[in-house]
Amino acid sequence: MMTFLYFIPNSWLPLLESAFYALIFPGFVAILLLAFFIIWFERKAAARVQMRYGPLWVSKRTGGIIQLLADMIRFSFQEFIIPQGADFIPFVFLPGLLLAFSVLPTVFIPIGPDYSHIFPSNYSLLLAVAFTLVIPVYLVALGWAADNKFSFIGALREAYLLVSYEVPFILAVASAFLLYGSLDLVKIVGIQEGTLPGIILNPLAAIVYIIAVIRATGRVPYDIVEADSELVFGPYTEYSSLMFGFVMGVPYIELYSYSLLFSVLFLSGWAPVTGIGFLGGLILPGIVTFVKSVIVMCFLVFLRAVYPRYKLDKAVRAGWSWVFYLALAALLLSAVVSRVLW
Amino acid sequence: MSDQKTPRKSAFGEVKGHIDALATGFKYFVDPHRMTLDYPAEAMELPKNYRGFFRLVDEKCIGCSLCEIVCPSNAIVMMQLPVAQSPAPQAGAQAPARPGPKVKKRPVVDWGMCIFCYFCVDVCPTEAFEPSSIHDLSYFEESEYRPTFEGFLKLPESPSKNSKKVVAKLDEKNGIKYEEKGDKE
Amino acid sequence: MTQEIKTVPFTYEVLSQLEMKEGILELQIGPAHAGSGHMRVLAWVEGDTVVKVDPDVGFVHRGVEKLSEDRLYIKAIPMVERPSLVDTVNANLGYVIALERLLGLEPPPRAQYIRVITAEISRIMSHLYGIAIYGIFMGSSTVFMWAVADREPFIDLLQELTGARVTYSHIIPGGVRWDLPKDFADKVEVALRYLENRMKDYEKVWINNPVVMARSMGVGKLSAQDATRLGVVGPNLRASGVEYDVRKNDPYAAYADFDFEIPTFKEGDSYSRLLIRVEEIKQSMSIIRQALKRLPEGKVIYEDYYKRMSPLMKEIYDKTGRVKFTLMLTSLSPPKGEAISRVEGGRGEMFYYLVSDGGKNPYRFRLVTPSFRNLPYFTHVMPGHKLADIPVIYGSIDYFPPEADR
Repeated sequence: MMTFLYFIPNSWLPLLESAFYALIFPGFVAILLLAFFIIWFERKAAARVQMRYGPLWVSKRTGGIIQLLADMIRFSFQEFIIPQGADFIPFVFLPGLLLAFSVLPTVFIPIGPDYSHIFPSNYSLLLAVAFTLVIPVYLVALGWAADNKFSFIGALREAYLLVSYEVPFILAVASAFLLYGSLDLVKIVGIQEGTLPGIILNPLAAIVYIIAVIRATGRVPYDIVEADSELVFGPYTEYSSLMFGFVMGVPYIELYSYSLLFSVLFLSGWAPVTGIGFLGGLILPGIVTFVKSVIVMCFLVFLRAVYPRYKLDKAVRAGWSWVFYLALAALLLSAVVSRVLW
Repeated sequence: MSDQKTPRKSAFGEVKGHIDALATGFKYFVDPHRMTLDYPAEAMELPKNYRGFFRLVDEKCIGCSLCEIVCPSNAIVMMQLPVAQSPAPQAGAQAPARPGPKVKKRPVVDWGMCIFCYFCVDVCPTEAFEPSSIHDLSYFEESEYRPTFEGFLKLPESPSKNSKKVVAKLDEKNGIKYEEKGDKE
Repeated sequence: MTQEIKTVPFTYEVLSQLEMKEGILELQIGPAHAGSGHMRVLAWVEGDTVVKVDPDVGFVHRGVEKLSEDRLYIKAIPMVERPSLVDTVNANLGYVIALERLLGLEPPPRAQYIRVITAEISRIMSHLYGIAIYGIFMGSSTVFMWAVADREPFIDLLQELTGARVTYSHIIPGGVRWDLPKDFADKVEVALRYLENRMKDYEKVWINNPVVMARSMGVGKLSAQDATRLGVVGPNLRASGVEYDVRKNDPYAAYADFDFEIPTFKEGDSYSRLLIRVEEIKQSMSIIRQALKRLPEGKVIYEDYYKRMSPLMKEIYDKTGRVKFTLMLTSLSPPKGEAISRVEGGRGEMFYYLVSDGGKNPYRFRLVTPSFRNLPYFTHVMPGHKLADIPVIYGSIDYFPPEADR
């Protein structure tokens, strides 16, 4: 156990561990740093492909990695404009709620085998998925509250896409459940450690999951909701100042929780590293899980450098046709594989 | 008439298209061909005939006003300047037959209106305008855009004077690279 | 997945009633909008379907025609370049040809060839810009950055020739202002080969990208019959299958000497409008190569103007290839009459009409730009499509607001 913290009474330790988990890693601080990194990476990767340098001048030695900090400082000195026709309370408080709910799923996703001490649950997969699915509802409300035609259209698009891609997403998660026969994410990783990572056992489910994640977090080519050449900035059009910073960060935090879930479900989580205790059972495996999900995130944000934007009706049709069929096939594959393996 | 065909769509082609696009994107991610110039630190060495700020060579100007006439944006104004009286003729020397004109006409450019078409430079019968490749210049106040006659006699100072001079070199494969200016010129 | 889209019959009577109907949302896209350019697009949507589009042009009107009426003929040269800043050589060329017809003079063959070379380089740049705008309107910043960056080698070429990056003012009545530098042909060859290499990557990332295909195939269809009826011009017309190119149908400069094809497509959708630009870039490359190979020797300025140059001017021309303006060139006063000229600009046919009353300024100057003639795409093609198709069609027609507003 944490021998270096010998001066703290033993009974406090679980509480301290939870606090560390929620506030530092993989909670608040890690998410904040990761958001910085991933936004920087997205801009840098796109810039490399596009024959330029990307953010550079804020801190030339580090390749402009603190650009977002500079932007945040600039945002915080801007005036926060509330449109006359906006619904005051939802308009002001929904960004905060969005941010909170986008962080929340990470609570239920284990990052190490010893996680069950902190949050023992047999239904962690179900809880994590349930909380990720709350976010779009707030987004629709946000678009309605702003009283702007573009926000409104953006919110409607979100609603359309929500309906069409949630079904494949849930089917992909269900096929994972069918594959492992458990809703406990710690157990799921244990099963993958024993056999093979989920992406090999059921690649179809992984593909459907990735497509649904691209859709849910509004990455290119599914950034239909924000679509700058059509809808200025979708539901977020009317936001300014620090509030804009909040709503801009939400998709990235969502992306983090989805990627974390992906690495646990399909990339066998902390697979090679395992142990017990705070350090061996939580931090070291946690780093492995974290790195895996960061790689997934990097791939997803890299798509911006390659693709243009998809169209709403085509995306909805795809969601109900080939993505849906693929999800059904994934379900079938899971049934077959689980029958063969165990 | 050459009727072109648009490519057909197929499921296989679509998968291949995705893979090709991602692979090409990744190729540039690994091996970027950056074309941007780190401007204030390095500046492009422009060709000699670059149309930048120019100055008037007072000795060559004959005050014919052609530049004022041809200027498309009416940026050139001819100024009437008093001619410095030549010193009194020394004893013994022959006095000039006819006193010179009291005023001379000289052009002055309003840089805020100039479009750098160089019609004035090309129309000048005596090549009285000395061109330069200085182009990266701006002023704080509107009045500074209009130099005085004395100001128009000398070239403005380039802000990128001290930056590293590079030349753009085009390569068939890798695009434009900016190389430090060699000494061969 | 491609679906046939039926175009809603467009009549103002029907649609003005629609405006009053319940459930129609009026959208003002622009003038300060990421997807509008320097104009405002008024769109009425029912659900996600566009029922009416009204392009509101004139935000960047520059008054070229009226301004030229109280200026010398030669002073209009930098001015006609201003409306279409990405295709300045062709704009300049058309005006000068009209003026030369008014004056009744024929420039020497070398000048004609140089005009063709610069005009084709300008066309390549204009098409690359069109591809770039199409990319950013469809949400791909990569293609935007690529195409804009790949204009750079060509800008550098013309910069070396003329000393400017955008507004070259290179073509004057009677010839051109600068002769080609010595190693110009080699540099052009390198730039062309570079673009050929790059086009392979464009094909992979952009042209054969399944998302691009899904987004633009079958969108914004205009049949050959409708295209001629509505009077659209340029690559958009040829993408609809009409073989019409001023360079072939009414050759000017030295275009009659070259062997090139007019690519056409049958579909007339946004995707073929993208492909036609790629094909035309290839044709332009072939024209430039032919012209550089067969470049005649001789003067680049009308013989009479050369004769009237002072000894100093002649010396400068012989030494550096820079043409000094004679007094005659400065104050042209063509005989009473009128002249027209047509050139094939990057976006289509540019039309110039000059009337002279024998004075030193044009009596009337009329400029018809291709972007203005491509406006029917907004009013007639966009209705019936989805809201997300507006930027796709807008981007595919390579519409340039300042050019339309003149």
